[in-house]
Amino acid sequence: MTFQSTEEQPIIKLDNVTFRYPGAEANSLEGVSLSICRGDFIAIAGSNGSGKSTLCKCFNGLIPTYYSGDMEGTVLVDGLSTADHSVAELSKRVAYVFQDFENQLVRPTVYDEVCFAPLNFGYEDYKERGMNALRMLEIEHLRHEWIWQLSGGQKHMAALAAALALDPDVIVVDEPVAQLDPAHARVIYEKLKLLNERYGKTIVVIEHHTEFIADYCRNMVLMEKGGRVRWVKSVSEGLSAVSELTEMNIQPPQVTQAFHALRSEQAVERGIAYPITIEEAAAHWSPVVRRASFLSDTGESIVPPSSQAAGGEPLVCFEGVISGYQGIDRKKKPILQGIDLDIHEGDRIALIGNNGAGKSTLLRLISGLRRPWEGKVTVCGKDTRKSTPEELSDLVAFLFQNPEEMFIADNIRQDIEFFLKARKQEGIEPFIEDVLRRFKLTELQQRDGRLLSGGQQRRTTLAIGMAMRPTIMLLDEPTASLDIASRKELTLLFDQLREQVKAVVIATHDMQLVADWANRVIVMNEGRILLDTDSRTVFQHPEILDRAALIAPQIVQLCGRLGIEPACLSVEQFIAYMQRMPREELVYGIS
Amino acid sequence: MELAEPTHKTTIWEKLSVERIKIELLRTAYGQSMTFLSRFDPRMLIGWYSFFAIAPWFIHNKTVLIGMLLAIAILTYTSKPSVLVLIVLAFGLVTDTAYMLIVALAFGGGFSAALALSTLTLKLLVIALASIAVFSSMDPEKLSDALLSLGMPAQFSFGVAYGYRMLPILIEEYNNLLYSYRLRGRAPLRKGFLGWRALVYMGKISVLAFYPLILNTAKRTRTTVEALEVKGFTYAVKDPRVKRIKLAYLKVLPRDYAFIIVSAIYVAFLFWLGSQFTL
Repeated sequence: MTFQSTEEQPIIKLDNVTFRYPGAEANSLEGVSLSICRGDFIAIAGSNGSGKSTLCKCFNGLIPTYYSGDMEGTVLVDGLSTADHSVAELSKRVAYVFQDFENQLVRPTVYDEVCFAPLNFGYEDYKERGMNALRMLEIEHLRHEWIWQLSGGQKHMAALAAALALDPDVIVVDEPVAQLDPAHARVIYEKLKLLNERYGKTIVVIEHHTEFIADYCRNMVLMEKGGRVRWVKSVSEGLSAVSELTEMNIQPPQVTQAFHALRSEQAVERGIAYPITIEEAAAHWSPVVRRASFLSDTGESIVPPSSQAAGGEPLVCFEGVISGYQGIDRKKKPILQGIDLDIHEGDRIALIGNNGAGKSTLLRLISGLRRPWEGKVTVCGKDTRKSTPEELSDLVAFLFQNPEEMFIADNIRQDIEFFLKARKQEGIEPFIEDVLRRFKLTELQQRDGRLLSGGQQRRTTLAIGMAMRPTIMLLDEPTASLDIASRKELTLLFDQLREQVKAVVIATHDMQLVADWANRVIVMNEGRILLDTDSRTVFQHPEILDRAALIAPQIVQLCGRLGIEPACLSVEQFIAYMQRMPREELVYGIS
Repeated sequence: MELAEPTHKTTIWEKLSVERIKIELLRTAYGQSMTFLSRFDPRMLIGWYSFFAIAPWFIHNKTVLIGMLLAIAILTYTSKPSVLVLIVLAFGLVTDTAYMLIVALAFGGGFSAALALSTLTLKLLVIALASIAVFSSMDPEKLSDALLSLGMPAQFSFGVAYGYRMLPILIEEYNNLLYSYRLRGRAPLRKGFLGWRALVYMGKISVLAFYPLILNTAKRTRTTVEALEVKGFTYAVKDPRVKRIKLAYLKVLPRDYAFIIVSAIYVAFLFWLGSQFTL
């Protein structure tokens, strides 16, 4: 990762910009001065509410033209002042892919979408321009697809293509990883890299997943609370500031964290750059570990014992279940093909697999929202075909992927009470108060769920689930689009579930959650169960992870590279492992 | 608890599920690109349709109306409409006829009055079938472009296309909201006579689920409006050049004229026939 310097004038230049949204009590940006060079690949990182999106909306003139707040300072894009040019004019230079990119797609097919902007600007060759954008991203084959039939990753690609159709110099992408699974996010980044290297586009990403920053970006901007820029550094320098990042709720790459914890005083004094990618980390540690490999089997078992062997009646039982959807052509499309599965008391199951593998269908079968076409699903002795979802909800709480689909009352307190009120239970106030307090929602209880932040929304859905006092809790992608702080908080709250809920099933793409929390992992692919095992074993099957489009946590991959078996599942385990090696072997900074 | 009744009830609910409605609506909107009517220019179709939507109101000759109905029924058949739409239409007709019979009998008009009122039913049927034939043959894009070409404001014609694009997403979300009510609510324990309690419960949550849907949509619109700004939509609305480029593909071909002429001759023939044999 070398710093690319250019003699040209910066493509984007902010000079002492301060901005306050109309009616807001505090400034969203405070004295921001920033230059972005032509051809750069730059990340903007910062905790929630540090003004990252606001900053990027200054680049294409949405601020101050569209949001007429109080603005001071100047923004120059390619030498043009954004205050004097229309959003449309600036859009030819700066493209923007929003975080909720689905709502950015306004036309029925991919082809219509990419042609839309060039058409609006009155280009006679709008079709050619649209096709060019598809060609740049190598997605011509999607052109006749209906938008509503695309997967999340394809939709993001379509939004990016539509943004490219005006052939802009700068492309701003707001949190590409938030709404996508890791494999798809990587595909998007590969395309951005291609645009940057082959077509010379300047790429700006808002990102707090530092592993992506390390792999793809050259420079990074760190924003802090109050909308100030803390610093602009090259990525390797920036990510080495481990304690500073952690303080901002940004988690440095796992390998960098491990190095930070293991580094010697010597290394600090000499100002050695930290490894930030797996390649760098593997190069750094492989001489040390090779000499110490004889120690590898002395580690005690850290994995919690799996409950698969536990006796007694299973809570949930699938017997030869086939189920699916009806397509637009009225043909039945099976999603699940012959599932046999038992879920026992004490199971903490992570259900993983690519999109469309059948994870959500499996959860819906347990909740009774869907019934098997063939075979049988039994939940606590009840056949789901003979019970309504209302009856099963006494046993099963199902939390949807999109929290907004769970907010059906006027405020979150009423949402949490809904289940008990519907059952006309008396004297629930103390219990509700307790749930609110436990999920830190007491202050927010009178607010509408839709107006909360992502992390608060998740906490609310968990509280709704808890207030149902279920035997089994099902969660669909609970950590998607959460920043690190909210994720950590959520993982702690999952521990609270353990006291009351007998079994938890989480459908997720979050491999760190798999490594940290689950005691049983089920990998699904094309409607079948590929593997049913514990979290350590699952990462020892790279070919299965590949098939299910999953990527192991960085530290697990590093262990694979270094030949450490069994692989360490967390940074703490890796640090412990390394510290058990003879002291003299750990000579850092010689490279 | 495990009675046969709830099982039966829910299977009906599943057959009439929101998902089912979604599939049928999408089929109606996008399902068929190659029907007889879809080959014609959409502006011509709108003109053709407006005749068959308005003229029946002024025609009192049953021979003419039945003749129109025959032709339109055939066209409707060729446009392969969704069964759901036809069921809704049939339901409307049956209740309409029943209501007319009751009214006619109650006010002492007897059977002859009911027969007179049936002319109205015939008119409604012609108009309804013409709508089904035309709109299930025309995809929303063509409809939207035709409206723009006929001088509707760009915002309106865009709205038509955008509405269709959002439809599947909205239905999906509505379905999930409905599930939220079901997963946390409580269905009445006793179904009541003919399951009326269960029906009232379903009816109630079906209406309630619209409120969160509206709020969610309102929130989502912010990005859409910003995106439209970025994509230069507001800019395009003021630019006549954009309209010309966009609609360049719409062309009225000889076959369009042929269709109009054949239709005109057929209608003229019906009027002649009607003047000879009045029913």
